Amino acid sequence: MNRIAKFAAASALMASISLAALAASLACADAAPRGGTMVYGRYADSLFLDPVLNDANVDIWILSNLYDTLLLPTDDGKGVQPGLATAWATALDGKSVTLSLREGTKFSDGSPIMAEDVKWSLDRARNPKNGIWNFLLASIDSIDIKDPKTVVLNLKQTDPAIIAALSVFNSAIMPQKAFEAQPGATDADKAKTFAEHPIGSGPFMLQSWNHGSEMKLVKNPNYWRQGDDGKPLPYLDGVTFEVIPDDATRILKVQSGELDGSEFIPFSRVEELKADDKLNMELFPSTKIAYGNLNVRPKLKDGTDNPLSNEKVRLALNLAADKDAIIAIVTHGVGTPMSSYMSTATPYHVGQGAQFPVDVDKAKQLMKDAGFEKGFSFSCLVIAGDVDEVGIATALQQMWSQIGVTLTIEQVDNATLTSRYRAGDFSMRLSYWTDDIADPNEITSYFAYSPTIQSQHSGWKSDEADKLFEDSQKELDPKKRAEQYARIQELYKSGPTIPIYESPYPVVLKKSVKGFLQIPLGNNIFSGAYLEK
Amino acid sequence: MTAIDPITAMTPAPAKPVAAGRRRRFSSTFLAGAAILILSALLALFPQMFAPYNPTAFDYKAILKGPSLAHPFGSDNFGRDILSRTIWAYRIDLQIALFGTLFPVIFGTLVGAVVGYIGGWLEAVFGRIVDAIVTFPFLVLVIAIVAVLGPGLFNLYIAVSIVGWVFYAKLIVAEFKVQKRLDYAAAARVMGYSTGRIVLRHLLPNAMTGALVYWMTDMALCILLGSSLGYLGLGAQPPTAEWGVLIADGKNYMKTAWWISVFPGVAIVLTGLGFSLLGDGLADMMRAKQ
Amino acid sequence: MLNLGFVVRRLLQIIPTFAFILVVTFVIVRLLPGDPLSAMAGDRVTDAQVLQAKAELGLDKPFIVQFIDFTERVATGDLGRSFVVQIPVVNLISQRLPPTLLLTGMATVLAILLAIPLAFISALRRDRAADMAIRGVFQVGLSMPVFYIGLLLLTVFSAQLQWFPVGGYGDNWGDRFYHLFLPALTLAMSLAAVLMRNLRSAIVDVLNAEYVDFARAKGLMPRIILGRHVLRNALISTVALLGPMVGTLLGGAVITESVFAIPGVGRLMIDSIYGRDYPVIQGLTMALAVVVSLIFLATDLLQAALDPRVAK
Repeated sequence: MNRIAKFAAASALMASISLAALAASLACADAAPRGGTMVYGRYADSLFLDPVLNDANVDIWILSNLYDTLLLPTDDGKGVQPGLATAWATALDGKSVTLSLREGTKFSDGSPIMAEDVKWSLDRARNPKNGIWNFLLASIDSIDIKDPKTVVLNLKQTDPAIIAALSVFNSAIMPQKAFEAQPGATDADKAKTFAEHPIGSGPFMLQSWNHGSEMKLVKNPNYWRQGDDGKPLPYLDGVTFEVIPDDATRILKVQSGELDGSEFIPFSRVEELKADDKLNMELFPSTKIAYGNLNVRPKLKDGTDNPLSNEKVRLALNLAADKDAIIAIVTHGVGTPMSSYMSTATPYHVGQGAQFPVDVDKAKQLMKDAGFEKGFSFSCLVIAGDVDEVGIATALQQMWSQIGVTLTIEQVDNATLTSRYRAGDFSMRLSYWTDDIADPNEITSYFAYSPTIQSQHSGWKSDEADKLFEDSQKELDPKKRAEQYARIQELYKSGPTIPIYESPYPVVLKKSVKGFLQIPLGNNIFSGAYLEK
Repeated sequence: MTAIDPITAMTPAPAKPVAAGRRRRFSSTFLAGAAILILSALLALFPQMFAPYNPTAFDYKAILKGPSLAHPFGSDNFGRDILSRTIWAYRIDLQIALFGTLFPVIFGTLVGAVVGYIGGWLEAVFGRIVDAIVTFPFLVLVIAIVAVLGPGLFNLYIAVSIVGWVFYAKLIVAEFKVQKRLDYAAAARVMGYSTGRIVLRHLLPNAMTGALVYWMTDMALCILLGSSLGYLGLGAQPPTAEWGVLIADGKNYMKTAWWISVFPGVAIVLTGLGFSLLGDGLADMMRAKQ
Repeated sequence: MLNLGFVVRRLLQIIPTFAFILVVTFVIVRLLPGDPLSAMAGDRVTDAQVLQAKAELGLDKPFIVQFIDFTERVATGDLGRSFVVQIPVVNLISQRLPPTLLLTGMATVLAILLAIPLAFISALRRDRAADMAIRGVFQVGLSMPVFYIGLLLLTVFSAQLQWFPVGGYGDNWGDRFYHLFLPALTLAMSLAAVLMRNLRSAIVDVLNAEYVDFARAKGLMPRIILGRHVLRNALISTVALLGPMVGTLLGGAVITESVFAIPGVGRLMIDSIYGRDYPVIQGLTMALAVVVSLIFLATDLLQAALDPRVAK
C-alpha cells in the first residue's frame, strides 16, 4: 500500500478506536455507582405496611419501595408507565381493560409473579370489606385470566381513572400463596402476620423493623427493573429509615453527616439549608395543599345560627385573608398561591394566580351586605403542635379581626379533631391534602361530591356539581371531562373551603445523594437513588 | 406509707436558734424574693404601662429582626415585639402559678388535716389513694385530660389539681402526726375544745410551714409544666403570650433568631428565682422563730 | 435491721394500687374523644368505615363486656395487640421499656453525682461566692424547659463539637451509654437542682445541730464528723426524695425521648394516646405502675437500711 493510504487507514483506525473509547467512557460515566446504604430521617414511623389495609401517609409513601404495581407513576406524578404490566389497552366501549404482564418477574423470595397473584391482589384491594381505599377500584366488576400473560378487568361502567388507579399503592401485587398460608382466620389476621415478614414485588425487601425507631430495607435481588448500566435496580444495597420526631434534631443529624437525607424540613429552615454547600435543599413539586374547611350548614351542632352558611360571609373571609402574606410568613416564601380547590399538579386543574386576591374593603362591604357589620366570632380547630397550622391560624386571626371577625384557636390532637369533624361539630378546621391518585376524582369526591362525606363534612351541596361529578366518573373523552371539571371548580368558588397555599415537599439531601425522588403524590422513590463516592 | 415521709424530708428541720445579734424580722433572702415577685406582679397587673407594643400586632416590616432600639428583645416571624409579648406573658404565667397551685394547697391541706388528725384506717385508705395517684404517669394524665376536656389554661388547672393536692396532703399528714402528740395539743383536748377548733386553730398553723415553703417551689414547677405543654401545643392557645409557648415558638429559630426563646427564658429564670428566694427566706424565718 | 414483714406488706400494697390504675385507665381511654381509625387515617374515613373498624376491634360491645374480656386476658398475661402497629403489646413494651429505664437510671445517677459534691461545697461555703454561683447555675437549670436544654446540648455538643452522636439509642450496650449521656444529663438537671437544694439545707441543719457540737467537743476530727454523721443523714433525705421524683423524671423522659429520638416508652405513651391505641395505653400504664411501685419499694428499703427507725 502506498504511504497516503497507510496513513489514512491508520488515522481511521485511531479515530474509530478513540471514538469507541470515548463512547465507552461516556457510557461508564453515565452508569450510577452501585452499593452503599442510604440513611433517611423520617418524622414518624410507618404503622402497618399492608397495601390494602393501611390507613396513613406514613405507610403509603414508602409502600412503593416494597411492592410494585401493574403500572408505575411517571416521575412528574401525572401519568403512568409500564410496571409489572408492559401494555394496557382499554376496550373501545371502555368497559374492559386488557393488561399484558411482564415476563420473568419474581417476588422477593424468588417465586414467579403469576397472573393468579395479579387477580387475587386486585380482588383483595377492591373488596369493600377491606380497608378504606377500595373505592379507587370500585368500577371493576370481575377479573378474568385470559392466559398466563394476560389479565382482563371487566368494568361495571366506563371509568376514566382506572388506568391511573392501577398505579396507586393499594393495587400493588402481592403473593397469594404466601399470604394465604399465614395463620389467622380473617384477611386482617393474615395481613398482620404477613406484614411482619413481607414478601413483596418492589425494589427493596424489609430486613428488620424496630418500631418507632428504625426500619431497614435491603435490595430485592429479584427485581425486574434495570438501571442505566443494564443491571437490575436498585443501585443501593439498602435504605435505613431512622425515626426522629423533632424537626430540629433531624436537621442537626443531617448537618452532622449521620443522615444522608431527611423529609419534612420546616419552612423556616429552608433558606439556611440552601446556603449550606454540603447539602441539597430539594423542594419537590407536590399536590399538597393547605386549606381551611368551613362548616356551612345553616345551624351549628349546638343549634345556634351559623354565619358561615352565608356565601357573602365566606367570600368576605376569603378576601380579607392575605394569602400572599401568609405564604411569606408561614412558608417563608416556599409556598405558592392556590387558584382552585385542588393543586396545580392535579390533572384538569384550572385557574391562575391567587383565587381570591386580597381586598379588605370589599370584604368589609360584603360583611355589611350580609348583615354582619358588627362581626361575629367562631373557633378554628387546628392540629396541636403543628407549627404551620398554628401559624396560618394566627395570621387569619389577626387578618379577620379587621373585618370584625374574632377567631379563637383550638389546638387538639388528630383523633379529637377528626371525630368532631366527622360529627359536623366544628365551625372551621385547618387541614392538608395530598392526592393519592393522578386524577382529580379523589379530591373532588371528598370536597365537592356531597354523597361521599357531605363535602368535607361541611354540608355544602350543589346538585349541579354532584351530577357533573357522576358524569365525569364515566366520561372517557378527556376534553369533555376537562369541561366538567372546569365547571365544578367554577361552582366551588362559593364552596366551603378557604384555599391557602400549595407547598412542595421540603427534603434535604447530602450532595452525594443522587437519583432520589418524591413524586407529587408523595411516594418516596428510592429505586433510582445512588450514593456518589 | 413510709414512716419517714419524703416530703417531710424536703422541708428543713428545726435547728438551733440564730445568735442574738443576727436576728432580723425578715431575712434578706425573703426580701430579695419578695422584691422580684412584687416587680413581677406589677408587670402582670399593668402590662400596658410597660410594654411598648401590642403583643398581638403583626409588623410585616419587622420580621425576625434581632434586638435593636426599636425592638429591644427582637421580633418574631410575625413581626411581633418579643419584649411586649414577654411582659404581657407575666399575667398569664403568674396566673398559671397561682391557679395551678391554689386548689391543691387548700384541698390538700384540709384533707391532710383530717386524715392526719384521725389517723388509723383513714390514713391507710389515704395511703392507697395517694400511691395510685402518684404512680400514674403525670404528664400522661394531663394530656389525657386535655384531650377529653379540650385545650387551654383552665383545663390545665383541672389536670394539675387532680394530682397536685397529694403532695400537700402528705406533708400535712406527716406534720400532724408529730404535732398531735405534743403537749399543747393534749392540753387543748383536756380543755374541751372541739375537734374542729383544735385542728384549725391550733394544729394547722404549726403544721403549715412545710407546705408553705413547698408551695413556692410548686409555683415555679407549674410554670414549667405550662411550658412543656406549650411544646406539645396543649397549653395557652394563640395569640396568648405565655413564656413556655414563646420558647417553643423559637425552637426552629435557635440559630437564626435566638432571641425568640432566650428572653422569655430569662423571665422564667428570674420569676423562678423570686419564688425560690421567697421560699428559702420563709424557711429561714420559720426556723428563726423556733 | 430489715424486717421481712415490712417488705411483704409493701409488696402486697402494690396490688390494690395496680387494680385501681387498671380500672381508671380502662375508663379514661374510652372517654377520650375519637377512635383509633380516625386518629390514623384522619379526614378520609367515612362513618361506615369507623363503625366497621370499631366492630373489628371489639369496641362496639358493651362497656362491661369489654372490661371482663380485658381482665380475663390480662390474667393470662395477654395484653392484646396494638391497634396501630398490629404487634403484641407485650413485645412492644419489652422493646421500648429498656431505653427509658436506662435513661432514667443514668439521669438519677448523674443527678446524684452532680448534687452531692456541689451541695457539700455550697453548704460548707455558705453565703459565699461559690455557694451563690452553684445555686445560681442550678436555678437556671431548673427554670429551663426540658426541650430547650436538650436542643441546646444537642446543638453545641453533638452538632457543633461532635463529641456526642445526634440523638438515637445506639446498637450495643457500650454504645448505648454513649448515646444516652446527653439526654440523661438533660433529664438530670431538674432532679439535681431539687436534690441539691434539699441536701444543702439538710447539711446546713446537721452542721448546726447539737450532736455535731457534742462530737466536736469530744475531739473528733472534722472529717470524721462530716463523713459519718452528715453524709449518712444527707443520703437518707436524698433517697427519700428519689421516690416521688421518679414521676417527674418519667414525665420529663417523654419530652427528652422526643428531642433525642430515643425509642422509649415516654414517646410510646404519647403516640398511643394520640393514636387512641387502647391496648398499648392500658398495658403501658400498668407496666409503668409496676415499675414505679418497685422503685418506691426499693427506695423505701434503702431508707430502711440507712435509717433503722423506719422499719417497724
